[in-house]
Amino acid sequence: MAREAFLARVKQAAEIGRAYRVEHQQLAPDVGYVGVTGDACAKLAQEIDAVGGIATIVDSLGQAREILAGYLLEAEAKTALCWQHPLLMRLQLNELLAERNVTRVDYDSANSLTQPARRLEQLACEIGITSVDLAIAETGTLLMCHHPGQERLASLLPPVHVAIVEQSQIVPDLLDAFRILHERGVQNLPSNITLITGPSKTGDIELQLTTGVHGPGRWRVIIIR
Amino acid sequence: MNSSSPTTETDYIRSTHHEFLAASEKALRTPSLQIILGQLGDTLGQRNRDAWQQLPNSDLVRQRARQIKDDTLANLHEHLQTLEISVQARGGQVHWADDGHAASKIIVDLIKQRGYSRVVKSKSMTSEEIHLNPALEAAGITTVETDLGEYIIQLAGHRPSHIVGPALHLSAVEVAEILSQPAGRTLAAERETLAAFARQELRQKFAEAEVGISGANFAVAETGTIVLVSNEGNARLTTALPKMHIAVMGMEKVIPKLADLPYFLKVLARAATGQKLSVYTSFVTGARRAGETDGAEEFHLVILDNGRSQILGSPLRESLFCIRCGACLNACPIYRSVGGHAYGGVYAGPIGAVLTPLYDGLAANHHLPHASSLCGACQAACPVKIQIPEMLVKLREQMHDEPTLKNGMESFAYRMWAKTLKRPWLYRLSTWLATRTVGRWYRKSPWLKKLPGKLHGWTKKRDFPAPAAARFRDWWEKEGRHGS
Ligand code: SF4
Repeated sequence: MAREAFLARVKQAAEIGRAYRVEHQQLAPDVGYVGVTGDACAKLAQEIDAVGGIATIVDSLGQAREILAGYLLEAEAKTALCWQHPLLMRLQLNELLAERNVTRVDYDSANSLTQPARRLEQLACEIGITSVDLAIAETGTLLMCHHPGQERLASLLPPVHVAIVEQSQIVPDLLDAFRILHERGVQNLPSNITLITGPSKTGDIELQLTTGVHGPGRWRVIIIR
Repeated sequence: MNSSSPTTETDYIRSTHHEFLAASEKALRTPSLQIILGQLGDTLGQRNRDAWQQLPNSDLVRQRARQIKDDTLANLHEHLQTLEISVQARGGQVHWADDGHAASKIIVDLIKQRGYSRVVKSKSMTSEEIHLNPALEAAGITTVETDLGEYIIQLAGHRPSHIVGPALHLSAVEVAEILSQPAGRTLAAERETLAAFARQELRQKFAEAEVGISGANFAVAETGTIVLVSNEGNARLTTALPKMHIAVMGMEKVIPKLADLPYFLKVLARAATGQKLSVYTSFVTGARRAGETDGAEEFHLVILDNGRSQILGSPLRESLFCIRCGACLNACPIYRSVGGHAYGGVYAGPIGAVLTPLYDGLAANHHLPHASSLCGACQAACPVKIQIPEMLVKLREQMHDEPTLKNGMESFAYRMWAKTLKRPWLYRLSTWLATRTVGRWYRKSPWLKKLPGKLHGWTKKRDFPAPAAARFRDWWEKEGRHGS
């Protein structure tokens, strides 16, 4: 069988190859840890701005609602692709959308449609609204674990993506995020995890930066202290 | 096949691209290409330096990444088996492909068996390596590249010229001409217009596609996770929308544990584009689960050997550490002069000069190990510190040992040189002759552009230092001694 022959060949080669192993040096376990000193919210916001997003730090859910309302206007949103998430519930996102006559598209509404109809509806949304699982201050990165109710498409299909982050979700470094994934159990990884660091970008035309070629061109993060 | 047919830039088949000299001369005479290649070093170089500076102990992190690769390769078979078990445990299927042909066949069969015919692809050098697109086309399967650069060169019929920026060789005006074809109207040569057109066009393809094909930057054995790194988001769309996801990867992409991953992520984007992290890093672990509304319903992983086991058991084993960041290309003075197409293989630049002869045969690519000044810039740039110059020297040695690759005149010249050095009277005579003849002829520069007879092969690729007008020993007798 192809598989057995393949693995036998690799085994033999790997053993011969050990003669050419490279030099080794003992390294501290925390090598590569950068982290942040000082205000994690401020650092996260600074990094998000640096990679081409816009971050706003607010002190209350009420303020976050106001900022979000501004983004709905800016995006001229008629439909919003949303997560179903405890933080968005506390934010009273449903009410906010209803007040503004923005149709909410989420897991429950998508589930009532057939696949092609659901895709068409999702593709037409003007804005995607999510929270995060974790945010990494050092790099301005949002980490999202995808489950029913926390769809990948919300941060991917619409031209604008807004994420609401709470201070308690912020970790200093990528290594902290991996530690937490471990604590939750590596054997139970969700079918998809995404790290997002900026709006969709390309340098494919003359090495010049162009945003929004596939994912959202506008990336907004509201950070609640 | 060492073809001497004229080179064209318009096919995917590398066997007609072994004319390094002709292709590089042409590249040197293409001003638009020279401008872009110049920017590679200038703008990107600075961004890379900045990003590295913000990672304390970056050297040790690179060392760590290198160690993980080295450890993994020492027991590669075990990690591949673990990966297989993990993928299967999450409902995915693993396929083993000895070579590119086998891999393409597995993929074509998977698609045909289900009666699918529309494929979207995210960028994958491995799929270039196995010439997947022509194989899909031949089977009547429509395949659309979705990375902007890949989409452009697919429409133009070009091959990628850079590992990270496949369409780097094209100017905005050329891109506008290429995209105006499918647009059916003349698009302005502005980046925003062109990107917006591509977005709209490719959305349609994503919505229709039944199959998404991706590569894999890493595959985590313990969890069965495929890690995809991209800036555009097309890899996310490719794996989220179609019904079936097929990932194809070289077998060296496996890493044992999830905890190994952050070290690679911390160095990959810095080396590639001077970012701390790329915009999107996706971990795909199996197919869509019950209750989920996005993600593929079926997941397949094709693991490719295609000559890698040969390399694994050889002194050039280290080339398998490569994480395809493209940093060595950007750093290389040769790449920055001639661009990617001159290399004639799928992988360009310094690492291409190592990999292409390994995958495609040394005889057919004998120019490549010499397409380097061995300045070491590639090794300094490499996030996993691959000793590329050393490997190029090893390949040159191998070439020397292979009788079919020997250049008769060159060996003769070296033999004469060795004889001369061993006999002082002969050495004195020949240096005297050289200075009295060529050394005193009228010359415009201290370099000879063309050596006589068959030796001109040497000067095809570089100039030869001309003998001086006087011998050092004569000068020393007359002037040098007084100073001492
Ligand atoms: S050899 Fe090193 S620098 Fe070159 S592409 Fe591979 S990892 Fe990057």
